[in-house]
Amino acid sequence: MKMKSFRYIFPQTFKSMLANGWMTFAAVMTITISLFLCTLFWLLVINVDANATALEEDVRISAYIKEDTQDYSYDRLYYDILAIEGVEAVEYISREDGLKNIAGRFGNTDLLAAMGGVNPLPDCYSITAESKDHVASIAKKLESFTEIDDIRYGEETVDRLFALTDTLRIGGLILMLLMALAAVVLISMSIRLTVMARKKEIMVMKWTGATNAFIRWPFILEGLFLGLMGAVLALGLALVCYHYALGYIAQYVSFLVVLPLSAVWQTTVLFALGAGLLLGMLGSFFPLARFLDV
Amino acid sequence: MLIQTVDLCKTYKNGLEALHNINLSIEPGEFVFLTGESGAGKSTLIKLLFREQQPTSGFIMISGKNINRLGRKDVVRLRRNTGVVFQDFRLMENSNVFDNVAFALKAVERPWEEIKTRVPEVLEWVGLAGREKENVMHLSGGEQQRVAVARAIINDPLILFADEPTGDLDPNTSAELMKLFEQINAAGTTVVMATHDQDIVEKMQKRVITLRKGRLVNDAIGGFSL
Ligand SMILES: Nc1ncnc2c1ncn2[C@@H]1O[C@H](COP(=O)(O)OP(=O)(O)OP(=O)(O)O)[C@@H](O)[C@H]1O
Ligand SMILES: [Mg+2]
Repeated sequence: MKMKSFRYIFPQTFKSMLANGWMTFAAVMTITISLFLCTLFWLLVINVDANATALEEDVRISAYIKEDTQDYSYDRLYYDILAIEGVEAVEYISREDGLKNIAGRFGNTDLLAAMGGVNPLPDCYSITAESKDHVASIAKKLESFTEIDDIRYGEETVDRLFALTDTLRIGGLILMLLMALAAVVLISMSIRLTVMARKKEIMVMKWTGATNAFIRWPFILEGLFLGLMGAVLALGLALVCYHYALGYIAQYVSFLVVLPLSAVWQTTVLFALGAGLLLGMLGSFFPLARFLDV
Repeated sequence: MLIQTVDLCKTYKNGLEALHNINLSIEPGEFVFLTGESGAGKSTLIKLLFREQQPTSGFIMISGKNINRLGRKDVVRLRRNTGVVFQDFRLMENSNVFDNVAFALKAVERPWEEIKTRVPEVLEWVGLAGREKENVMHLSGGEQQRVAVARAIINDPLILFADEPTGDLDPNTSAELMKLFEQINAAGTTVVMATHDQDIVEKMQKRVITLRKGRLVNDAIGGFSL
């Protein structure tokens, strides 16, 4: 088929999309909703991933001290920890400071009052390892200290986070497949209407000797346009939602790593537009297949 | 020989044998009527000839090629060399005369400059000069059929197939349309037309192929026979 022939093809596409306007609208809305949910999921997954990666790089270990530990043991403990191979620095964080830190991260200034005046936190040593390779061995050593109750460090959380990402990925994949299916069905329905409305024209084209490509292109374009419109709307919605979510997270849960809009928009745009166009292509494929078997 | 059918049989899925062992040949430039009573198989034969349907057995040769064994490219080439006209015109209702005719040239991807000059030429040729802008639904039946004919011949086909093109027209309008067909034939296009209109066949004195219950029963120049 000649490139120039697209000037005969474009008008066909737009005429038929306008002709069954409400179906076009329904198809675009379905694609918008499904791609919107998919895009939000995508944003969620890349952010959880970013958090996991950030934690993986984290070289800090928190060692919580048992309630009944005598004051004089604190100094000895400090030096014992400092003596562990790979420890770079040890910082003491009292339970009061710990609570203040947490309050700061969540943007809540009066956490103590909110918890009924009881501070549930123990005292803690915050240990910085020389590198992340040392974190696991340091944690292991710390476990043998009788004064230490509990140890928290990145890798543990990382494992849990990665498990979460996996769940999210699988759940997201299923959700995306269902959404994609709905979108393809709606696009197919919309294009099937066009095919029905233009049955006579398709027949005339066939008899006059139009190539299959020439006959197919208006429908492929219709699918692509439906997909594209849905994708653009979904993207707009998703990015606006993301923008507001960022503001909210920055204010209330500042310890979470959240990727700024500037870091995610390129991949998100690619993802949404790619998905939209792909769904559009798929949707236009089925309704036409049986008409073209010449 | 332009068209040749060899032991052509068509049995529909419901078991009905619409055509049985049809052997005929048509030379370039001929004007051929296909007659027979209702249900004789005229439409079926036309459909096989323009490859709308495939025969159950036997085959059709056009210009030395078996049209039932063509690749995609050759099917397109065959269709560009054949025009088809139907009883019910099959025009695009919401479009004007120009767009209906231009559609056939667009479909085969001719340049716009050519379409602009060629469509008025053909409309003049079928007696619709200057009617480009009119909506086809506002035309009379005879005029609508002329639009359909213009669309069928605008690509200069070697063969024009017509299935009851006068079926919905009154006798005078039919006679006018047949004059147009004669002109088209005189210009070199082979015409194969299915009809059960006795008057037309009698008047034209062309070759007449008669079918009865799916069998070829008569093939002669001249009058109508059943
Ligand atoms: N698609 C089909 N499926 C089953 N039977 C069919 C089909 N098309 C035609 N027939 C049958 O085949 C036979 C021949 O039909 P055809 O349409 O070729 O006749 P015809 O000569 O064109 O008749 P008419 O003058 O009424 O148009 C008829 O008995 C018809 O009922
Ligand atoms: Mg018939």
